[in-house]
Order: sequence, then structure tokens, then C-alpha cells
Amino acid sequence: MKISLLYKSLAVGLIITLFSAFSVMQEDNGAAKDPKISLPYKKMGLTKKQAAAHLLSRFTFGARPGEIDKVADMGLEKWLEQQFDGTLDDAVLAEKLKGYDALQIDNDSIVNTYLNNGQVIRVGIRKGLINKDSVQAAGRKEYQDKLLAVMKQEGYKPIAELQRQLINQKVIRAAYSENQLKEILTDFWFNHFNVSLTKNQSEQFIMTYERDAIRPYVTGNFQDMLVATAKHPAMLEYLDNATSISNNNDAGKKQEANAKAQLERKRRQAEKDTSSRIANEMMAMEQAMNNQKRQGLNENYAREIMELHTLGVDGGYTQNDVTEVARALTGWAPRPMFNDGVAKKQLDRLGDDKMAKQGIITEGDFLFRGNKHDEGEKMILGHRFPANGGYKEGMQVLELLANYPATAKFISTKLATRFVSDTPSTALVKEMAETFLATKGNLKAVMITMVNSKEFWAKSALREKVKSPFEFAISAVRATNADVQQPFQIYTWCMKMGQRFYYYQAPTGFPDRAAYWINTGSLLNRMNFGLAFATEKIPGVKLNLIALNNGHEPESPDEALAIYSRILLPERNQEENIKRLTALVRDANVEKKINDAAAKNTAPVPAGDMQGNDMMAMNNDTGTGKGKKQKAKTALNKKATDPRMTYAAGNNTALSQVAGIIIGSPEFQRK
Amino acid sequence: MVNRRGFVKSGALALFAAGFGGVPSFIARAADSKKIIPPYKKNKVLVCIFQRGAMDGLMAVSPYADPNLKALRPTLYMSPSATEGGLTDLDGKFGLHPGLKNLYPFFTEGRMAIVHGVGSPNNTRSHFDAQDFMESGTPFNKGTASGWLNRAVGLTGHDGSPFRAVSLTSALPRSFYGDNEALAISNLQDFAIQMRGNPMATNMAAKSFEQLYDETSSQILNRTGKESFDAMKMLSAANIKNYQPANGAVYPNSALGNSLKQIATLIKMDVGMEIGFAESGGWDTHYNQGTANGILSRNLQDFGDSIAAFWKDMAAYQDDVTVMTMTEFGRTAHQNGTGGTDHGRASCLFVLGNDVQGGKVYNNIKSLAKADLEDGRDLPVTTDFRSVFSAVANGHLNINNNSKLFPQWDGSSLSMMKS
Repeated sequence: MKISLLYKSLAVGLIITLFSAFSVMQEDNGAAKDPKISLPYKKMGLTKKQAAAHLLSRFTFGARPGEIDKVADMGLEKWLEQQFDGTLDDAVLAEKLKGYDALQIDNDSIVNTYLNNGQVIRVGIRKGLINKDSVQAAGRKEYQDKLLAVMKQEGYKPIAELQRQLINQKVIRAAYSENQLKEILTDFWFNHFNVSLTKNQSEQFIMTYERDAIRPYVTGNFQDMLVATAKHPAMLEYLDNATSISNNNDAGKKQEANAKAQLERKRRQAEKDTSSRIANEMMAMEQAMNNQKRQGLNENYAREIMELHTLGVDGGYTQNDVTEVARALTGWAPRPMFNDGVAKKQLDRLGDDKMAKQGIITEGDFLFRGNKHDEGEKMILGHRFPANGGYKEGMQVLELLANYPATAKFISTKLATRFVSDTPSTALVKEMAETFLATKGNLKAVMITMVNSKEFWAKSALREKVKSPFEFAISAVRATNADVQQPFQIYTWCMKMGQRFYYYQAPTGFPDRAAYWINTGSLLNRMNFGLAFATEKIPGVKLNLIALNNGHEPESPDEALAIYSRILLPERNQEENIKRLTALVRDANVEKKINDAAAKNTAPVPAGDMQGNDMMAMNNDTGTGKGKKQKAKTALNKKATDPRMTYAAGNNTALSQVAGIIIGSPEFQRK
Repeated sequence: MVNRRGFVKSGALALFAAGFGGVPSFIARAADSKKIIPPYKKNKVLVCIFQRGAMDGLMAVSPYADPNLKALRPTLYMSPSATEGGLTDLDGKFGLHPGLKNLYPFFTEGRMAIVHGVGSPNNTRSHFDAQDFMESGTPFNKGTASGWLNRAVGLTGHDGSPFRAVSLTSALPRSFYGDNEALAISNLQDFAIQMRGNPMATNMAAKSFEQLYDETSSQILNRTGKESFDAMKMLSAANIKNYQPANGAVYPNSALGNSLKQIATLIKMDVGMEIGFAESGGWDTHYNQGTANGILSRNLQDFGDSIAAFWKDMAAYQDDVTVMTMTEFGRTAHQNGTGGTDHGRASCLFVLGNDVQGGKVYNNIKSLAKADLEDGRDLPVTTDFRSVFSAVANGHLNINNNSKLFPQWDGSSLSMMKS
């Protein structure tokens, strides 16, 4: 690694000195202690168990069986302290993550291992493994075979494998980590600083982004997280800051002048020598200069860092501030990592001396190109940033933004909206924002202010939020102690329910509002998820419902309903629902119809007909001829079983159906 | 304005009321609100097709008469010819690719307009960024939370149907992000309570869910639950699986063909759809794109045939439906070293419908001479995509609030729709 020594001393020494002199610094930081956790649930009329249930519903991906009692016994404050620490032993998780070999590797390895098809083709052509005239002319199969051949020779792995591991680890961690708050917050902050697999240029870096730029900071300091995201290749590519450059610096001006002089010389040469070689060379130089010109300031990241990451859309910045921040962040880029790439070879050739001369600094996976940085003076939010600020100038801008009062308010609002209610009070937000400013962005302290507030424990806040599809699916896994062997199946269902995580295209992240998650299509899919999940129709997701009731089989559908409502929805008053549903599940006619049909009809039905006919059976109880046949088939499937529902551990028993209905019910959607 | 008789009489609704003994709640809700004028049948429908990957507009609708084109594209150049495999001349300047021959009748009938030189003022050549900007409708702002079609749904002033905006995709497209209800569903048959192979249990589960959602204290779950069940029953009544296209239309058995077929199903059911969205992929032709045969030709064939089948199927609804295509940018004017074309700037799009002033290639293209190209290499954007999108939204959906539809844009709409 070429971590310049010069830079190291600069970064640690000079920058810190400059920072402490910086005008936004209000007080000495670091001395601030975390406030004490003191949860006023009793004052708000909640029992300890009710409070534990509420805390678990907001700060975990759902309570596991018996967990409410456990938390109540150990004390809510202690549990929360442990969760903030996030260091509980995670043996089960570690076991589940065995074999996920991509999760610990660094960006250098990823860039040189997991390539997308376009990158593979380019390598293949350059190395003569693919004839450029044959690409796409041949059929799909031959094309795939060629790609595979290049990958094999070069030792590449398909990038889909990296993404599969990324997606699976999120499911596994959420379902099985003991340090649940860490997972909840990683989900929250990733969404806040959203990047997306939909963008080719950033897709290789999403895994390390979550791991290195988000996860370590979720209970730490906001500014640290902001800086980590700003410098990570995923964000630099996703919001185009990697392409934002300026020639307004000494090296840039020299380079431009050189290029112009060279072109002029070539032009004079062309006047004498009219050969096509010279003409071509001149054209190439013109093209290069045009390309150079086309590049320039890109304001995307500057705008979003203010609008979405820090100040908020009404945070009091102007278009001029956007441009000035963009200028301050010119020359920021990912360090070139692809061994076969031109950029990396160029950088490697430069050597430390030349790098220093051109103002190039590498730090981890980050590259600052002084020769592409705008060295002019900037005015940002009324603060003057003198000329020749270099790399440290961008860092100062990030500090300014991270600690701005509007940021404190914006971040506090977002946290309160996620964890308290869709419409938190201004008083609560104000209190949290004050903590934010007083602690210089200590996120743990801000969250403690939130849970110490009465508003968090208000009865009106209980179950007020609707789970996101991911939260919903994982809460079902946790409530049933299910064994998820194929996590990708959970992801597929989340997509059907409206949350294709890691693929949300806009930098806003998924909206955190019930109205966004709940529409007709997604709601039906939630119900279908409940049924498919409980009847074990989701491949690689196993559960044992009887074990949840200590191995005891309920004797009737009514009993199943009563018992499993209490198991799956603890601390909630389910009497009304149970009463209503009992009439339905008890409907003896259902069983009678099955038996009658079994007795009368034995004709087989083509399997392909099943799906369409399900609907008919549902909408028309009297049944058409087809409907009857279908019932017959169902009955046949049940063969000689007792017409009373049986509770063997298997699919489609009455018990799993009852559990499926509970999971798909409106109550289970709430948190 | 509210004509209840007409409302109940109208096609699927009558069937619905007879079959299920009640008016769906979302329709009842809509009827109570002053905003809506039932029956839904009166609503116009806009069907948008996004060609992801950037279609080569210079080959789809080729400015063959420009002498520069042949020089720029020695092996990709095509010219009009009466025989199989040549362009169909449109106006002496542009020619339609043979893969699109089934769209040609619509052009001659004056129902289909082509707009050429369309694109975004933002000169990004990234698929992701360009699609993002085109779909949000704000070419310089990444953070716009909503998509332009979601805003369009809000601006029609209608309310009520959960099927107002339907995308035949597995996830919600960027165009549909936003506050107004919008649905992504890759297969209409999935719109049901499902327990494979167990209809009795399905029945019980559906009834149980219906009751539970009917009684829940959560307003949003309650309301959406009701609408879900109503919508589900409505779709099941239409027998989607056995849908027969009208007029002998045959859809290609492709992703786009299937999407358009399902959009046609929804339109015929009068479920209140106003925006339909479908995607078509494979347009990123860097390598050997071919001419009359090859990858681009195959894509164009599927694209043209799917739209033609849809239009044929829509025979009785053509006055109410407009189809508009879009693609994020065009491709380089010159061919590259691998028989393909790279990311460029402007492309072309198609607008089909009886509200369209068709039979014309709308364009402000100068020439393909180097001096007229952007950065010396690309067909420049001479028509902002928003001036086309807004023209269609104004002329077909009767939306007249361009400042809400396309914030930060003060351009004017292209005059291409019948007034």
C-alpha cells in the first residue's frame, strides 16, 4: 500500500490541529459521557413485560419465543446497554456464516476476483481469448461459454456470487445475531447513506461499504460515519464524485498547456506531412482533449450529502453551496485497484516522489488527486475556505456539515421516525438534536435520549409502526425459531413484498412510512408469505411448530389458534381475533366437504391446472365441476388421514395453516 | 357528474357486482370522494415501455439520406429497399428498420409519431444515471424522491383504484417511486391468496385474512386489506389464465409481449388503470449489433411485434390508450471496433395512439457532420425528453401542470398531440 508518510503526518497532525481551530467547534469533545439509560415505561403505565415487548419490537428484528420474559428478568436497561455494546457472543451466527468466503476479503481482492460480464469481455478481448468480432454474434450459450472460459483462465468468480453472499449475510445476521441492535442500526444507516447494486460502477463495493463504512459506526460518531461513506469507493462511484474533477490547480493547468502545445506541434506537422498516420494521431489527441473537457464538476454527491445525508432538504443551503461543496470535493476518487487496469499501472509507475509532486495521496482505498482538485477559494454556508486547501479542505467541509444544527435536527427526526412513530413530536426531536450537538454527533447518546423520553413509551406508540417486508419476514423466522438454510429465498419473498434490499435505486433509500410498504399487491404477498412460511413451502426454511409449544400438540383447531396466537404475538390482546377466527377454523363443513368430495370423486386432475383453480374454489363455495375435482385431489393427497386435522410435523396441516394465518394477519405486521 | 347506473353497468363491474354481491370498497370509496368521476371507463391509459440499455436510434429510425452516416458506419449502414431486409422509407430522410415493419402501418395511418434526437440535457453516458434522471424526470437532481409517472398519477386528479399505476416488473421501477399508490407485479396470476394444491385451505385462509383485516384497528392495514381482497376477486373473475386477445392478435412469447398482454387484460377489465409500465432489455449493443439480422434486429422485431399485437388487441379501446416508448440515451454515431456502437447521447422514441398527430418524424436534427455532433461523436440532444413526455401527459392524460410533473423545467411541450 502506498500510504504516503507525508500524508500520515498531515492527516494526524495538521488536520487535527486545523479542526480544533475550526469555527464550528463549540466545545471540547471526547469528554462527553453517554447519558445514563433510564426508561420511564412505568410512568407511562406499562408493565415491565409490556415494555420489554415494545423494546424488543423496535430494537430487534422480532422477539424470539421466551425472549420477552428473559429481557424483563434481566432488566430492560441492562439489556439495552448490552445491545449498545454489541459484543455478545455470536456462536450460532458464526456457524451459520461458515462458508461465506467473500465476506472478509478486501476491495483489492474483490476488484480482481468478482468481475461483471462487461469487464470479463474486455479482459477476454485484450488477452485474445475472445475474438472481438464474435461477441454477441454467436448464440447466448456460446457467449456464456466464452465468458466462462475467460473467467476460468483468469481465476475470476461471477459477481453474482459476491452479491448472493452479501444478501444472504444480511438475512442470516438479522435472524440469528445476538447483537440485534447492531443489525437494526446497520439496516437503518445503510438506508440513510443508500448505495445500490443497480449501478454497475459501484456494485463490487456494496459489501465492503456496509461492512467497513456503516457497521463499525452505527453506535459511534456521526461524523466518522459520514467521512467513511464519503471516502468509500461505493459512494464515490454511486453518486459520481469519482468523476468530479477540476483543472483549476497548478498541475492541471500545466498539463492542459502541455496538451495544447503538443496538439499544436502535431497540427504543424500535419500541414507538412499529410499521411494518414499523422492525421490519426492528431485525431486521437483531439479526442483525448475532448474527453478531458467533457469531464468536470459533478454536483450529484455534493447535493445529496446536504439534502439526504446531513442538513436535510430544508436545511438552509443554497444552490451556490452545492456547487462550492462539489468544488471542495473534486479530486476524490477510489484508489485504482484492478491489476490489469491502466489506471493502476499508471499509479504504480509514479512512485512516491512523483505522487507527492502531483498532490496525489492514497489512504486505504481512497485516492485524493491534487492535480484534479479545484484549488480556488470557496464559501460554504457562510464559512470561508481559503485557496489551496487540498484534501484537508474536503475533510473540513464534512466536519462542518456533520455538526451543523440542521443536521442534528434532520438525523434526530429520522431516528425518531424509525424508532418511535411515523410522526414524532417536535419536542422529542429537539431534545435529541440538543444531545447530538452537545456530544458532537454521538449516536448512542442521541438514541439514549430517545428511549429515555416518555414519548417512546407512550401507549399510542405501541405497535404504531408497520414492519418493512424485511422486518416482517425476519420476525416470522425469529418468532418460530425457524432454521433458514436458504437465505436467498427470504430475499426473493422480500422482493415480492416490495423491498428488494440493496437494489433501491435512489439515494433517498426506502421511504420509512407505512403507506410506502402497504399496497394491495404487497399486502397479499405478506399474507402469502405467512402461509408459505408456516406450511414450509419456502425451500430451505424449516420450522417445528410443535416444539414451540413444548412438544405438545393442540387438540383442535380452536386450541391451536389460541395457543399459537399467544406464542407468535406475545403481550398482545388477541381475544377478539381468536374469537372471530375460531368460527372459521372450526367450520366442520370444511372437513365434511373434503370427505364428501373424496368419497364421490376420484378422478385425477392435471397438476398444471392447480393454480388457476385455486381461485375458483375460493370464490365459489358450491364448486364447479372443476372445483370438485380439485377438492377430490386434495382429499386424495390427504389419503386415509383422519378427517379431523392432524398435527404431524409436515406441510399443510391445520396447525401450520393456523400459524400461517397468524403470521399473515394485520397484528403481525405491526411493531 | 356521477352516473351510478353507468358505473354499475360498465363491463367488469357489472360482472363483479353480480358475482360477488357488492361493490368493491375502493370503488365505493372513490365514488364517495368528490374527486372522481366514475365510471373508470372514461379514464385514459398511458402505457410506457422503457427500453433499458440504450437503443441505437440511428439504426431503428435511420437518417439514411445523410451522406455522413455511411462514412461513420461502414458496415452498419442500411438504406431503403423494396426487397426484404431494407429500410422502409418514412419521409425521404429517415427509414424504419425492417424489424419494425409491423409498426409502419400505424405511421402511415397517422397514429404513430416518431421523435428523433430525444434525450436528456444531462450528458451522462452512464446507463444508471441516465435512466435515473429520465425516470425521476429531473436530469440534474439525484435526490428527487418520486418518479415522473407517479407524479402523473397524482396529477390526473382521479382517485381510488389500486390499479391506477401498474408496472409489470418484479420490483417497482424508479418512474413509479413516490407517494401515490403504485403496484409492481410481474404476473397477474400471482394476485391471489396462494397455497399450492390446497384450495380448501386457501379458501379458509383467504376468509380468515379478510376478516382479520376487516377488523384491524390499523387504518392503513384495514383499508388496504379491503382493497386487496376486492382487487383479487375482480382479477380472478377475469380469468387471466385463459385470456384471449381480441381481433386475432398474437403476442410474441417474450417478456415484453407477456407484459403488454397483461396490461391489455387490465385495460379491458376497467379496473381503473391509468398508467401501465413495461420493460424491454438487451439494447446495449457494444458488439456486432448486425443490420437486417443480428441482435439489434431481433430486439427490434420483438419490440415492434409486441406493440403491434397490443394495438391490435386494443381495437375497441384505441381511443383511450396511448403507448410511449423511451430509452435512456442513444449510441455513438460511428461504429466501434467491435461491430457495435457505444454510449452516446440522443436516440428516438415512438408514440402511438389516436390522440397523436402521427405520420411524422419530429426532429431538429441538423446533420451527422462532425461539427454538428456533440463532442464530435454523438447525435446531440435536440429535443428534451420532458418536452415529449409532457406533451403526451398533457394531450392524452389531460394533465396540465408541467411544473409539478417536471420540477425545475421551464421548457415547452412538443406540439405533437391532437388538440
